[in-house]
Amino acid sequence: MPAIVIAAAVASAFFLGYRFYSSYLARKVYVLDASFVTPAHTMEDGVDYVPTNKHVLFGHHFTSIAGAAPIVGPAIGVFWGWGPALAWVVLGTIFAAGVHDFGALVVSVRHRAQNIGSLASTVINRRARTLFLVLIFFLLTLVNAVFAVVIGNLFVANPAAVLPILLEIPLAIFIGQYIYRTKSSALLPSIVGVLALYATIPLGQQFPIELTGIADALGVDQVRNIWVVLLFVYTFFAARIPVWVLLQPRDYINSHQLFIALGVIFAGIAVGMSTLVAPAVNDVPDGSPSFFPFLFITIACGAISGFHSLVSSGTTSKQLDKETDARYVGYMGAVGEGSLAVGAILACTAGVAASRADWDALYVDFPTASGGAVGNFVNGVAAFANNIGIPFDFAVIFAAIVVISFAATTMDTGVRLQRYVIQEIGVITGIKPLARNLTLATTIAVVVPLAMALLPGGGEAGYTFGVLWQLFGTTNQLTAGLALAVIAVWVTKSGRNPIAVLVPLVFLLMMTTWALILNLRNFVAQEQWVLAPLDLIIFVIALWLIVEAALALRTAFAARRDGTAGVSTEGADQDPAAVRDANPDSGQRRT
Amino acid sequence: MSLEHHVLLVRPWDQQMSGSGCCGRLGGIGNELGNEEDFAPQRRDMESMGVVYRALRAALSTDVKMSVVDPRNTVWLVPWLLRKGWARGLRGRALLREVGRGTSTTAVVVDGRTVAWGQLPSSAEVVDLVLAELYGPHCRTG
Repeated sequence: MPAIVIAAAVASAFFLGYRFYSSYLARKVYVLDASFVTPAHTMEDGVDYVPTNKHVLFGHHFTSIAGAAPIVGPAIGVFWGWGPALAWVVLGTIFAAGVHDFGALVVSVRHRAQNIGSLASTVINRRARTLFLVLIFFLLTLVNAVFAVVIGNLFVANPAAVLPILLEIPLAIFIGQYIYRTKSSALLPSIVGVLALYATIPLGQQFPIELTGIADALGVDQVRNIWVVLLFVYTFFAARIPVWVLLQPRDYINSHQLFIALGVIFAGIAVGMSTLVAPAVNDVPDGSPSFFPFLFITIACGAISGFHSLVSSGTTSKQLDKETDARYVGYMGAVGEGSLAVGAILACTAGVAASRADWDALYVDFPTASGGAVGNFVNGVAAFANNIGIPFDFAVIFAAIVVISFAATTMDTGVRLQRYVIQEIGVITGIKPLARNLTLATTIAVVVPLAMALLPGGGEAGYTFGVLWQLFGTTNQLTAGLALAVIAVWVTKSGRNPIAVLVPLVFLLMMTTWALILNLRNFVAQEQWVLAPLDLIIFVIALWLIVEAALALRTAFAARRDGTAGVSTEGADQDPAAVRDANPDSGQRRT
Repeated sequence: MSLEHHVLLVRPWDQQMSGSGCCGRLGGIGNELGNEEDFAPQRRDMESMGVVYRALRAALSTDVKMSVVDPRNTVWLVPWLLRKGWARGLRGRALLREVGRGTSTTAVVVDGRTVAWGQLPSSAEVVDLVLAELYGPHCRTG
């Protein structure tokens, strides 16, 4: 089947989802009120709270939520065939991610633009906030481990990408210094930066950097592990330098790369008329993980991502001009992320191989599929790029650079965030060295995920990576579950039918706990005594979340039965003049 | 062409914006994860532009639309600057120059024309520049 047909069908499904399902959510579940005065108006200060046009806000929101994870998950997920992967991405986007991102934004707006951690405390209880922080701790640990492996694999497979990625660091620093010192245009230097980055590709091809010799000399079986160690050494230092030196300027380069990559993928599909060679449903070998439940934790971002609730509730809600804009900004943001995941699926099923036999070799079993997934995406994008006239060898390195740039930024961020979380834990537990000693906190933030990334047990194909990725998926899905629980409780207390929120919530919790139980059994059987306790801890967190959600919902339903619910009164005391000033064209506020 | 005037304030938010939003994101004050000191330079730009924003809000009538946009939001900002510049009759290098100015880390743009960028003058001067651009040079606060 031509990939363009799939792309068109998905675009139609997303359009229908937005047109009808988000409309249903807006009218019946979240009951958006055009005359509700948003925090952007009630607390307008021109600094944090600024009423913003919905198109401006969508650009900001979408750029903020996109990353590398909607690429990696689908690239592994097509192991079960393109049918299940595509179905989960499309249905997940329409019925889970859209509900989640849109809902988190609305609940935050209805609670003075509080962020999701505070909302968990306000809407559920104080324990829920602790649960949120614990989830984030494990999520960050696993993120850092999996992305180190992703980059390590790509460096081994594409040694020509190493030099451009190394040169991206001084390039970003130079751009950052130039922009912030001269306060001049950010656009031109960042475009020049992106072009300069791609111009280094021939240099990288001329001087590929391989560490096989070093690995041999050190007696290390997997060359990837040398890269993993070097990456964590890099992040140890990168996490300690000011954000504006490297991380912030790389934002400019990454924001261009996101749209360039999306443009190349969909232009290549349209021009080349590539066809899907992968099976709709793959007959996986015996002993492989079954797509129920593992597909639903392998593809997290792209179908639903808990981290989006942090963006929705942290910044976007402070800028929402009208409450009705939440539908466009929140739901369409999820659709944008879903589109990136669809691009990844098509790259790994239509771009990466010329025939079914070639594809079967790449996805022969789960260890091979998960270990080579990102490489398959890179080669698939390169094939699409080749359709529009970009030389294949150049395009491979281009695609690798895009993924590595995103993954490296995620690692920089993850290690830095983990350091803050560890310092916070030090404060809470009264362990002063942990709270005050930056080096100690950074060392812990680096060593724990490093140990996970280096875990033995997978062989060269990277079995460990697939397992680690699934554990990361569970934490991300549980974060989404927590946000959905907050939304469901709020909807219930507001006296509306929460079924649209409860269905994805229950589905996610079921798939996650089911996968955790199956994995735990496997880890114990295989005597994996690092992964088994980790899995068990995440399982306990999942149970904790289920209990908290059930208790909160029971209370909400009881309050509704007793007639004591009604949290939709937030803003009921709004000054009518403020309402008119903020929304002159919206009429009188509904009471 | 819309007759509504649009004043755009360009300045960064104190947060990370791209590359890792799905699974890790740093923010400054009021964000769930991060450290306000990480984004101190951006915060300074936010605060100083906030003064300009409030001064403009006080000086302009409500029919003038005001927006704040991050220069990294290129997917919206660049097409808007191109569209508005084109509507003003700008072409070629003049248009590109205007787009370049409008995407500075701090800039004030009125209906597609950048009236201040880089190191901004005082808020009172910015208000004068905006009023002059909107209603002609005779219309200044001083």
